[in-house]
Amino acid sequence: MAELTYREAVIEGIAQEMRRDNKVVFLGEDIGKAGGVFKATVGLWDEFGDLRVRDTPISEQAILGAAMGAAMTGLRPIAEIMFSDFLAVCWDIVTNQIAKSRYMTGGQVDVPLVIRTANGGGVRFGAQHSQSVENWAMMIPGIKVVVPSTPADVKGLLAAAIRDPDPVIFFEQKALYATKGEVPDGEHVDEIGKAKVVREGDDVTILALALMVPRALEAADRLQAEVGISANVVDIRSLVPLDTQTIIQQVQKTARVVTVEENPRLCGWGAEIVSIIAEECFYDLDMPIVRITTPHIPLSSADELEDEMIPSADRIFETVRREVD
Amino acid sequence: MDVIMPQMGETVAEGTLTVWHKKVGDTVSSSDILFEIGTDKVEMEVPAMADGVLAEILVAEGDTVAVGTKLAVIEGTGEAAALSPDAFEPEAPKADPAATPVPVAERPERDRSMKLSPVVRKLLAENNLSHTDVTGTGRDGRIKRGDVLDYMKGGAATVPTAPVPAEAPGAVSAEGITVVPFSYRRKMTAEHMVRSKATSPHVLQAVEVDFSGVNKARQAIGADWKRQEGYSLTFLSFIAKAVCTAIKDFPHINGHIEKDHLVVFDQVNLAIAVDLNFEGLVAPVIRDADLKTVTEIARATNELARRARAGELTPDDMANATYTISNNGSFGTLITAPIINQPQVAILSTDSITKRPMVIEQDGEDLIVIRPVGILAQSFDHRAIDGSYSGAFMRRVKEILEGKNWVESVS
Amino acid sequence: MVKKATAKKKTQEKSMAKKAWLNDDIGEENRLTMWRLQLEVRHVEQRLHDLFFQNLIKGTSHLAIGQEAISAGFGAAMRQDDYTFCTYRGHAHTLVRGASMTGMIGELMGKECGMLKGKGGSMHLTDVEKGAMGSYAIIGAHLPIAAGAAWQAQYNKTGQIAACFFGDGATNIGAFHEALNFAVIWNLPVVYVCENNLYMEYTPISEVTAVEHPAADRACAYGLPSIIVDGNDADAVFRVAMTAFDKARAGGGPSLIEAKTYRYSGHSRADPATYRPDGELDEWMKKDPIPMYRQRLLDFGVKEDVVSSIEEAVLKAVDEATEEAKASPPPPLESAYTDVWADGGVSWRN
Repeated sequence: MAELTYREAVIEGIAQEMRRDNKVVFLGEDIGKAGGVFKATVGLWDEFGDLRVRDTPISEQAILGAAMGAAMTGLRPIAEIMFSDFLAVCWDIVTNQIAKSRYMTGGQVDVPLVIRTANGGGVRFGAQHSQSVENWAMMIPGIKVVVPSTPADVKGLLAAAIRDPDPVIFFEQKALYATKGEVPDGEHVDEIGKAKVVREGDDVTILALALMVPRALEAADRLQAEVGISANVVDIRSLVPLDTQTIIQQVQKTARVVTVEENPRLCGWGAEIVSIIAEECFYDLDMPIVRITTPHIPLSSADELEDEMIPSADRIFETVRREVD
Repeated sequence: MDVIMPQMGETVAEGTLTVWHKKVGDTVSSSDILFEIGTDKVEMEVPAMADGVLAEILVAEGDTVAVGTKLAVIEGTGEAAALSPDAFEPEAPKADPAATPVPVAERPERDRSMKLSPVVRKLLAENNLSHTDVTGTGRDGRIKRGDVLDYMKGGAATVPTAPVPAEAPGAVSAEGITVVPFSYRRKMTAEHMVRSKATSPHVLQAVEVDFSGVNKARQAIGADWKRQEGYSLTFLSFIAKAVCTAIKDFPHINGHIEKDHLVVFDQVNLAIAVDLNFEGLVAPVIRDADLKTVTEIARATNELARRARAGELTPDDMANATYTISNNGSFGTLITAPIINQPQVAILSTDSITKRPMVIEQDGEDLIVIRPVGILAQSFDHRAIDGSYSGAFMRRVKEILEGKNWVESVS
Repeated sequence: MVKKATAKKKTQEKSMAKKAWLNDDIGEENRLTMWRLQLEVRHVEQRLHDLFFQNLIKGTSHLAIGQEAISAGFGAAMRQDDYTFCTYRGHAHTLVRGASMTGMIGELMGKECGMLKGKGGSMHLTDVEKGAMGSYAIIGAHLPIAAGAAWQAQYNKTGQIAACFFGDGATNIGAFHEALNFAVIWNLPVVYVCENNLYMEYTPISEVTAVEHPAADRACAYGLPSIIVDGNDADAVFRVAMTAFDKARAGGGPSLIEAKTYRYSGHSRADPATYRPDGELDEWMKKDPIPMYRQRLLDFGVKEDVVSSIEEAVLKAVDEATEEAKASPPPPLESAYTDVWADGGVSWRN
């Protein structure tokens, strides 16, 4: 085991796969010589050079279009979209082209690519550089959606995404880049489509993703210590494919469920999961289902205002304490 | 301020409000006695603990309510310290939670008056319970899932190592006396037994059976069976097979009694009574037992007993029994007069099988031989059949057990 | 005496010209290929047109009758392992790569034998095995995708090129600009071909474009030379194509070519094209590439029966393919539940 930061785990995940498979190539803005605006790709250009690690102009449609063309013809590209907000600029390539080509061509076209992007807020960048848009991706049939919360998951799931024959959008949380965690030594490949129970408990199941996972864990400690509520925290990790079975089991275990979502309220990822629970676990519920989300409002930039909107450990604690009897 | 039913003892779950000392509209001060409560142990006067006006009384004198139930509302100016930390919700360290600035449109006011959640409804329905049976310990006295589960278990948390009935919570001990409240299952059994005796005129008939023929088969394959299956091949499966065979000649044994008629079934669904660690009986059913071989019956019996003890029986396992066998053999008893499993016609008890001296006739001479012998006793409902029919059935069962080539049946 | 000598000289000249023509940079074989390809495109497109009006083809379809020379010229110049990317007006480009006529007609009729199993339709014709890497219905999307395919060729040093066909309207969309710039700075072996048929959907291109030649006048913005070719002359197209392909294969980077042409039918099935000025269609039909090419072949000494037999074979193939497609059943309902993922499945959950 080694202790790595979340950003170091990104580098290691990419490097591990690029060393292993010559078909893996990487393109994006400032990712090469500069090591990425979040310093999440430092050292890759030094190791793999100009041929395999390429800086691009500010051309999101070209970046993803070229990634798709290369993937269709035998390479395994990783494309970076610097801020997940910018997916809106190249959304046609994601949804109309990458997601649908295999289906529309009767299975002829392969698109084994990974789009890595820095998602989420908490760093005071304002409304156009702080969004959590994993739910946008979840809604489009034909792309896999992975959202890790720990360095170990970053490395393992990024490796799995690169090896996956289908297109994957890999959402890294920018506020987590500096966080640290234990990562297994040697080759580390995790499994897409598996959620993880990160804290066992009996009284209420909390479903969370990315930045909301450590906040839910912090709230869970307080809930146990201060009011004796034992929270069962689940890190969803993949939105597509979704580990519905684990979610159902964990809901049946406690009969109570709360989601914690950084995305704005309407059609957030929790809305879909909660609808599955309402349909398939209706007779297992001892409490109405509760979603804790950022309100349906653009994010502000000032410290206090942004912290007010994105669910905090305090808000999670208060909500669970109030709802669970 | 809400006035709630305090918890007057660790094991007390409810209390009776015996006397109100104030009425609605009265001004109260925090030290005034507001009401009195009684539990099965104590009676107590309870002060108001707040200054103000008694605005609402929600529970009448003589009512028994759960701990935590809202009894009254005082509209007032000040609040004194809580009576006991457990009785009230802990004060939030920050501002009142209602002030948490979540936009109102996103969190509509939720009505918390007595509502049964889906899981609670499901559990109540599955177990034929009424919500009035169950004490709620959730907010405002709400029945939580755990409350229903606790009620059904009778509160027994551990399986006793020695065969002593588990003591339910709330068992009160005094000098020389222990009161053991009936668990849910005990209550259900009690009701069924009384009802059965009150409905059916029970008559007991017994036969003595020589099990040496059966024993030959048991010895022939017993060791292999034990090794392969993990449990012994007992006499019960053979008895069950004999009963199913005999029923073909005496079909009225295999029926349900309605008010003025007997419903006779072609299908033989044999219920086998299983004891659950002295905590009660269940009788899961082997469907179409007459179509099964001895070994198939043995496996089915074992599986049902396992599921019964693990609490995994499904409603299908319990339904549509047409005849019941109660196996008491392991206790060494001679004979048992079982109580009929309503609405069946009869029930058979098997008791211990022991080596006894028997007289047989051989070549015209009387000989004493040692044989494994046991008594089979059937209680039948005299409304549907008479002693002659039942007796003939029992004779047939004995004939099959003593005469059939059982070694062939199991090979 | 002089007359006879002049006549003989003329005959000699003619025969030398023929020989030269047959042995020139294009050659007879390529020309016969282009003749066949133009005929295949014309006759398949016309058959599809007829099938519309018999209501055997539903939805929408975009015909390129009149524009055959472009796809034929480029198609003949390509290597088998090259890639093509085209738009929803892409029957021609897919056909010239050798895709099955039955598969094409069947796809438009929504049948099981369709090359996309009935799941994509007219606008998405694809035959990966033949290098036809898709027809794209979102204007401009395939320009950067073609650059990506060229990137693979460059990375693996295969010598392949990617040819990307689009209309005049696409030159005004953002992805055109991104793709051209990207292809130039990475020096990718991709050839961008703008088929300027003077109209976008219902609007003349000249009314909405800041420059006269929508592609060729923008080439300089990317440091590329302006290349314009008569899109109705397959030989001219072939030469331009070979030059661009050779340049790309040699590591010389991308080209941007504007081919001038005209479409005889409306933008799509629903369009009777009444926005065209009177007489414009007639003028252009005088420059119909197919009779022009037939005449050229005859002028240069290809035998009439060779020319005709090629046409007969094409007509026969179109008829056979039509019957095969008609006889094919609709796709089984279960096939809608396949091929979202590489494993053939569609599930998003366990």
